[in-house]
Amino acid sequence: MYGWIWRHLPGNAWVRALISIVLVLAVVYALFQYVFPWAEPLLPFNDVTVDGQ
Amino acid sequence: MARARNRIAGIISAFGELLITAGLVMGLFVVYSLWWTNVLADRAADQDGAQVRDRWADGPGALDTKDGIGFLHVPAMGDDEILVKQGTTSTILNNGVAGYYTDPIKSALPQDKKGNFTLAAHRDGHGAKFHNIHKLKTGDAIVFESKDTWYVYKVYKSLPETTKYNVDVLQPVPKESGKTKPGRYITLTTCTPMYTSDYRYIVWGELERTEKVDRDRTPPAELL
Repeated sequence: MYGWIWRHLPGNAWVRALISIVLVLAVVYALFQYVFPWAEPLLPFNDVTVDGQ
Repeated sequence: MARARNRIAGIISAFGELLITAGLVMGLFVVYSLWWTNVLADRAADQDGAQVRDRWADGPGALDTKDGIGFLHVPAMGDDEILVKQGTTSTILNNGVAGYYTDPIKSALPQDKKGNFTLAAHRDGHGAKFHNIHKLKTGDAIVFESKDTWYVYKVYKSLPETTKYNVDVLQPVPKESGKTKPGRYITLTTCTPMYTSDYRYIVWGELERTEKVDRDRTPPAELL
C-alpha cells in the first residue's frame, strides 16, 4: 500500500519525501479535526454524568 | 508458482501495513484524547473565565450568570480554578468547565436556602478538571466563588464507584451520603476508573460558611 503510493508519487526521492510528509500531516489534521471529534462520543471513555442513559 | 507466492506475499504485506496504520491511528487517538482536547478546552475555559472576571471587575455585585456563574476552587485537586456553567452536555463540559445539572435532577444554586449544588466535569481530556477527585478526603474544602460570595463547603463523604444509573446521588437531600435533613450540599460527579467511564465517582460536601467578597477579592483562609 505505502509502496504503491511511493511509486506513484512524481519527482525524485526528495520530492516524494516532501510530498509524503505533507500527506501525513494532512491525514493527521483530518483525524484531529474531523474523525476523532466524531468518534469520541461513540466510545465509552468520557461519560461523566449520572443520567441513567 | 513463484507468481502465486508473490501474490500471497503482497496480500500479507498489505494486511500488515493496514495493521500498522490502525495502530498508529489508535496511538494518535490517545494523543488526541489526553493532550489535544486539554489544549483546546483549557484555551476555551481561560477565555470564558477571563470574560467573567472582566465583567466582575467593577467589584462585588449581584449574581451574574452570563458565560458562567462563578469559579470552583478545590485546593486538594490542584490550584486551578474551574469555571462553572449551566448544563452537563458534552458540548458544555468539553470546553474545560464544570457544569451544574439541569437534568435528570435539577441542581440547586449555592445561594439557595436549601438544596444540592450538583456538578459534573471531565476526569481525563477536555480540561480534565476533576482528574484528581480521588485526592479529596473528608474535611477538605471545596470553595465556590460567585460575584459577591465565597461559599466554603467541606467534604463529608465520597463514593468511589457507582453506576451511571444512580441518579439519586443528585437528590436535594442525598440520602446515600447519610444525610436525612434538607441542607446546603454540593455534589461532584465524574467518571472512574481513570481513562474510562465504566463507573461514576461521587463526592459530597456540605456548606460550612459563606464569606462576602471584599473589594480585593481576598480569598477565604482555605485557599491561602
